[in-house]
Amino acid sequence: MKAYSLFNKDLASEIRTRYAVNSLAMFILVTISVILFSVGSEKVSENLTGGLFWAVIFFTSMSGLSRAFVSEEERGTALTLQLIASPTTVFSGKLLFNLILVFAMNIVVAALYSTLFDAFIIKNFALFIALFILGNIGIAVSSTIIAAIISKAGSKGTLYPVLSFPILLPLILILIDLTKMAMGGLEAYSAYVELAALVCYNVIMITASYMLFDFIWKD
Amino acid sequence: MKQKYIFGSVIIAVFLGLLVFLFTQSNIKYESNFGSIIASGKTVKAAGVWVKEKKYEADKISDTFSFYMKDETGAEMKVVCKGSAPNNFETATSVVVTGKFEDGYFHATNILTKCPSKYQDQLKTKV
Repeated sequence: MKAYSLFNKDLASEIRTRYAVNSLAMFILVTISVILFSVGSEKVSENLTGGLFWAVIFFTSMSGLSRAFVSEEERGTALTLQLIASPTTVFSGKLLFNLILVFAMNIVVAALYSTLFDAFIIKNFALFIALFILGNIGIAVSSTIIAAIISKAGSKGTLYPVLSFPILLPLILILIDLTKMAMGGLEAYSAYVELAALVCYNVIMITASYMLFDFIWKD
Repeated sequence: MKQKYIFGSVIIAVFLGLLVFLFTQSNIKYESNFGSIIASGKTVKAAGVWVKEKKYEADKISDTFSFYMKDETGAEMKVVCKGSAPNNFETATSVVVTGKFEDGYFHATNILTKCPSKYQDQLKTKV
């Protein structure tokens, strides 16, 4: 069984139930409107909107991405998957699905955010695109491996944000810093330290996930 | 199977080391030549001395204070800093401000003052 066919299976079941897409869409809508109402007519500083942008993305990923492995456990299909596919294949398939989901979700958030908030102006667009792509990959990888860990646990809902906070914290901090730079119109070369740190984070997370997934999955 | 873990551990170790190395490096550099600060418009730490002949002004409404700074070559620039002046500002021998040059003056977000050494002063009064 190939990773691609696992991805197809997930996509088909997502189109049927629309569980993740619905919860993501509702969450985005609710958080952005709450921020919009609480801000009111007040002028928000640029730095704050950059931070809030990633706060919305962090909590939205918390609400929708935990499903990847929980759904397998709930339907009792995890054992079948263990029989027909190697752990690496399973992880690749799930990661591919989460990547698509994270990209779709964050593009929607970014589009909504930039239309609704006047202070959210990106001056250096190339830098923003770079940090956006790298950040999305980081979020997708971390949330997939955390979803695999919690799928075996009892209280899945609460464990997910608690476990992902320390893992995602360095990523979110770097992303907020970079967003500030992109909004301030800094040249890309002066942000190379942060961009390189982001690449390092992604490489570490991907290798660690592929190494540790064998143990999580076989247990 | 075992090779996979060895290989993976090496990759993680290398990139973790790289990450630590990157965090020890700061993007903001010290700059003591005001000419290049004005020309580049980058965020820097500018080091220089306060021009005492030109008084500093505190603006309570916008919560800023402004003063003139001079570098080693004698080039001057106006600095506008957020917040109020530090207590030891008037006695400071040199000032380091973090920020960038824009619209004709230096926008500082942080200010550090270097004070004259206590012990040197005591020595002078004794002598």
